[in-house]
Amino acid sequence: MLNRHKISLFILGSGIITLAIAFSFALAWLSPGASAAALAQSTPPTPTPQAGSATDTSTGLLSIDDQVCLDCHGTPGLTMTLENGEVLDLTVSAEEHRVSVHGQMGYACVQCHTTVGNYPHPPFQAASLRDASLQLYPACQRCHASQYELASDSVHATALENGNLQAAICTDCHTAHQVRRLNDPETGELTQEARLAIPETCAKCHSAIYEKYLTSVHGSALSEGNADVPTCIDCHGVHNIEDPTTASFRLNSPTMCSKCHTDSELMAKYGLSTNVLSTYVADFHGTTVALFEKQSPDAETNKPVCYDCHGIHDIMRVDDPDHGLQASENLLVRCQRCHPDATANFPTAWLSHYIPDREKYPLVYYVNLFYKILIPALLGGMAVLVALDFSAKVRSRRRKPEVTESDAEVSHD
Amino acid sequence: MTQTNPPPAFQTIPVRTEVHIQRFTLGQRWEHAILFLCTIVLLLTGLPQKYRDASWSQYILSTPERVELVRQIHHIAALVLTALVIYHLGRAILLLARRRLPGNMLISWQDIRDAWKMTKHLLFLSKEKPVYGKYNFEQKVTYWFIFFGVGIMVVTGFVLWFPEMWTRFLPGGIIPAALLAHSTEASVAAVFIVIWHLFHVLIERLNLSMFTGWLNAEDMRTHHLLEYQRLGGDNPDNSDTGDSQ
Repeated sequence: MLNRHKISLFILGSGIITLAIAFSFALAWLSPGASAAALAQSTPPTPTPQAGSATDTSTGLLSIDDQVCLDCHGTPGLTMTLENGEVLDLTVSAEEHRVSVHGQMGYACVQCHTTVGNYPHPPFQAASLRDASLQLYPACQRCHASQYELASDSVHATALENGNLQAAICTDCHTAHQVRRLNDPETGELTQEARLAIPETCAKCHSAIYEKYLTSVHGSALSEGNADVPTCIDCHGVHNIEDPTTASFRLNSPTMCSKCHTDSELMAKYGLSTNVLSTYVADFHGTTVALFEKQSPDAETNKPVCYDCHGIHDIMRVDDPDHGLQASENLLVRCQRCHPDATANFPTAWLSHYIPDREKYPLVYYVNLFYKILIPALLGGMAVLVALDFSAKVRSRRRKPEVTESDAEVSHD
Repeated sequence: MTQTNPPPAFQTIPVRTEVHIQRFTLGQRWEHAILFLCTIVLLLTGLPQKYRDASWSQYILSTPERVELVRQIHHIAALVLTALVIYHLGRAILLLARRRLPGNMLISWQDIRDAWKMTKHLLFLSKEKPVYGKYNFEQKVTYWFIFFGVGIMVVTGFVLWFPEMWTRFLPGGIIPAALLAHSTEASVAAVFIVIWHLFHVLIERLNLSMFTGWLNAEDMRTHHLLEYQRLGGDNPDNSDTGDSQ
């Protein structure tokens, strides 16, 4: 009795286990490698300023000619003293406006300055020069509503709301009267000159980062006129600039880098590998980052992303003689940030974005080879033997009842 | 070392004695039970880490806290398994030193001849079936496959657990190699257990002697004739007891 009880319990238990194992294998085979693809899915918005949105010149407000304004505001020396004593220059260069994108398209002063009305102007009060700008810049929204809305989600808008009056507004980057055309009217893409000028625009406030960027592999190429390299906006976005210190920015950053670094056409131009993302995702760190990016994008993780090893604004060539990560001692410094006990051999535990082959990482290559031979040979052989065993068992079961029957007949006789 | 059924209630029914022979000691059965549990826990916590692209795995490992928990359970089970390996090897060494280690689990030429004979029999090339001692070649394959499998898992597991320590005196390449071996060997072991071990002990014939400790004389005679005879089975003087060892 005890035995029978044990047996039934055991059969039940092993049945569940077998099912569980079979189920997990089936699931694993049903959903093939998707983490690299997952990383490539959610890309930050690319800067594509709308072309032609400003071509609508048929507004009914075009009642006052620019010349009317310029009669006063074209004269140098027209100023206004603000509450804090700062002097607001009210002179506008007619030439500057004429060559700006708005001037070229024939926009009139009063299309932006809609509140000034007739002369004398309604009273205008501002605490400071900055306050004056902050009062005037919402005028951009009338035509550029989508960009204005994006910008209101940005880290700059948040800073402004939190009381930092220096946080960038439209006119800080685009200027007020000297707005330049940034995109090609045909393609809607940023022009080469516009791309080259971006870091300088950001440098107006972020000058320390700009200095770092100029020394990096990307920044130095840009300053030589190469527009292939990323500028500020390729990583940070344009109007809806995200807070780069969040967990989600960190988890998403490999996707950001891989936008260019998995582009085979672009990388071929510079002889760079496009396996950097897949090899990263295949290893300990990348696996976890890719998993969290998909499953819990706001999770804090200490697993390194691209920029933890390669640097953020000061990214160097890997073969840089002083700082390049190809030199093991340079990489070790990075390893030790998280693995303080790491020693000289430790960095080679990371495959450096290589796919193991006989020359590089022979040990990994041969372990792989061993299992490639072992699995089909040994397990295959076993499976064959088990299959033969099983068929023999089925046959003997079928045969047995016949034997007993004939035996019975014999005994009757 | 025998178990006999209680006497039948009616005298008209002929007495049927079932003889059971001890196959595994209590210690061996405990070892198997612990190995069994560790394997289940290690597979359940290890396979999600291996098949991290699969949606079920990503569901299990969706947050850093869960990853940490799964890894901790894996590490605890690994320590239990390591203790078991040390006990098993230590006991073997102790028995060897006392010259009392039974050599019947060692693979011999006879096993290779048995395997060949069995294959020929299964392929209808021969009517003859091999007869076995206490452990047949299939059971020895099971033991040694798991022996080396567990060995690989324990060694590579500790390499992965303490990479900084091992790379003090070994090249860094052992880490990715250990990762590959650990991860591949795990699935090899899982497949092996399902297709080979579970087939032999559950499907081919239900053999729970590793849990009960006993095997009945009938099964013993059919499947382990040499051992049965060695224990004195079918000897007229000894047939009612099947005295063992």
